[in-house]
Amino acid sequence: MENKIYNITFGGTGGQGILKAAEICGWAAMYAGFHIKKSEVHGMAQRGGSVESHVRFGKQVFSPIVQQGWADVLVCFHPEEHERLKTFLKPDGKDLIEYLDKAQKAIENPRHLNVFLVGVLSAFLPIKPDFWQQAIEATFKKKYVDENKGVFLKGREMGQS
Amino acid sequence: MSKNSLSKKALLSGDEALAFGAYEAGLKVACAYPGTPSTEILETLATFPDLDVQWSVNEKVAYEVALGAAISGVRSLFACKHVGLNVALDPLMTSSYTGILAGFVAVVCDDPGMHSSQNEEDTRWISIFSKLPMLEPASPREAKEFIKQAFEISEKFDTPVILRMTTRVAHTKEDIILGQRVVPPQPPFERNIPKYVMVPGNAYGRHIFVEERLKKLKSLSEKTKMNRIEAGDKKIGFITSGVSYQYLKENYPDASYLKLGMTYPFCDDKILAFAKTVKKLYVIEELDPFLEEHVKSLGLKCQAKDPSFKIGELLPELIPAVVKGEIKKEIKSVKRKPRLCPECPHWATFATLKKLDFYVAGDIGCYTLACLPPTSALHSCLCMGAGVTFNEGWRKGAPDKKIVGVVGDSTFVHSGITGLINAAYNKAKGVIFILDNSTTAMTGGQQNPATGLTIRNEPTKKLILEDLCKACGADNVDVIDPKNRAEFDALVEKRVNENALSVIISRHPCKLIRQ
Repeated sequence: MENKIYNITFGGTGGQGILKAAEICGWAAMYAGFHIKKSEVHGMAQRGGSVESHVRFGKQVFSPIVQQGWADVLVCFHPEEHERLKTFLKPDGKDLIEYLDKAQKAIENPRHLNVFLVGVLSAFLPIKPDFWQQAIEATFKKKYVDENKGVFLKGREMGQS
Repeated sequence: MSKNSLSKKALLSGDEALAFGAYEAGLKVACAYPGTPSTEILETLATFPDLDVQWSVNEKVAYEVALGAAISGVRSLFACKHVGLNVALDPLMTSSYTGILAGFVAVVCDDPGMHSSQNEEDTRWISIFSKLPMLEPASPREAKEFIKQAFEISEKFDTPVILRMTTRVAHTKEDIILGQRVVPPQPPFERNIPKYVMVPGNAYGRHIFVEERLKKLKSLSEKTKMNRIEAGDKKIGFITSGVSYQYLKENYPDASYLKLGMTYPFCDDKILAFAKTVKKLYVIEELDPFLEEHVKSLGLKCQAKDPSFKIGELLPELIPAVVKGEIKKEIKSVKRKPRLCPECPHWATFATLKKLDFYVAGDIGCYTLACLPPTSALHSCLCMGAGVTFNEGWRKGAPDKKIVGVVGDSTFVHSGITGLINAAYNKAKGVIFILDNSTTAMTGGQQNPATGLTIRNEPTKKLILEDLCKACGADNVDVIDPKNRAEFDALVEKRVNENALSVIISRHPCKLIRQ
């Protein structure tokens, strides 16, 4: 396995499903055989405050938090939170804010935004589609799995196009 | 945690990993009161049907029930957040003397940076104060491994063990390999008056034991692999622990490390030996100079963080400045502040309190957010229960002011009852509002005695708050829905103008209650 550590920062506000998005990414990285650390702070998240989560995976990960200027991908669900978090992105990093509007238009149910953006994100990470599918199975109740797999694939298509 | 727990690997938080580790170690009993970032430990343990798990009324009660279980012969665990340990400190201090029969671990989660807390006290000092060993995992994987070691140490040395995590360990998730549960043979519970009855004569004998035990634990601290030297570049040597180790490794991958996992008693010989091998010695840690002061007391020269970094959490990008000894640059947070949900019943209560221009003694819960502008209608937040007692205290020096107290339903049961009895007994007056949203909302909606459901949502005896308040000696007890604004306002105006001790139970369930 290569030594590179992949850094992804997720951000938004309470109730947008940020932690769930990071959770799916974490499980996918785990199924792909990486050492993974994911950090999150909750407690006040339900109260509409800022929410951020970091996912780091590779051969051996130390810090659970992405360092400022190190993120390979920044996934923001809210323009204002993007302003706050953009300093996490490394100079040549991928900023998914360009997909936010398109993603919102592409989904029928606003609750699907997080899984759709995870689909977009998947197009930029070295994790095979099977592992993302397994991650969705691990993080959703059975009755929601198929629906979310569909949303994920639509997002992935957008990320690949 | 998903239902994937039967597979061999899972993505688990420090809290969850610790719970799985405790389960594998043969844990039988676990008690806690919810508190961020420790809450998920008990929530995870409650998913194992063969465990005896409870939300206790408060941390003191939780500690005593769990310790009692350990003394009766089964491995037991108590979990809390840092400020929760303050509530449990009375039993903790003397449990150092009594020791245990089967393994007993007190898990404490500190909150550097105060993501969801009223202070950022550093629990490591409690280990010196109580003469109890302290383990400090730096990752979820270590949390799972260290909890097993903690039970072994507890039984081998006849001691409670404190296991301390911080938010960034408790709420970090990592891929974890799950193992099999092994329950150790149960020792027989027998009467032992010199060991368990802490009257002065017996306690003197046990204090001798405690001091001897500390010496033996120090030998363990010297030997254990939890305190490990990672030899690297000899120019720089870091003594560190917890998540600080992770941030340092990220920034200085080639340096030498003494990574401490058992932070008390100190491993002096190992520290001295490590210091000899490196040209420049650094002690890097979050919050107080706990390791630094001890290393310096050994006569070693070391560089540590500037005192300005005692405040707030360390973050990976701060590490170079911390290592160089620079002063912390205060950057104003632009984080979106949490606020009460739009549907929250507390809005209505506080609208009335604001309109009537009260001085409001506050407490700990979602409603503490009523202090934020533009509402600004809550004027203190000290600790659990002080909403009730500050109503009494404030009236002593400011009898001309319009003073009321507020407390949540779960908080009232935790620490408000004694304050209400005290007010009645000492002839205090005023109105105490119990903001009854029928759940422990701030920590995510846990059950409590007033909800009538257990941690596993099984029906149990329900505490009737209105009956309890009457029994405590309140002159008037009213139950009212604050969303009936006119009726609520009229009642409040009536009660505040009486020379009486009144309780108004402002009852409307939280929208976020789990179905």
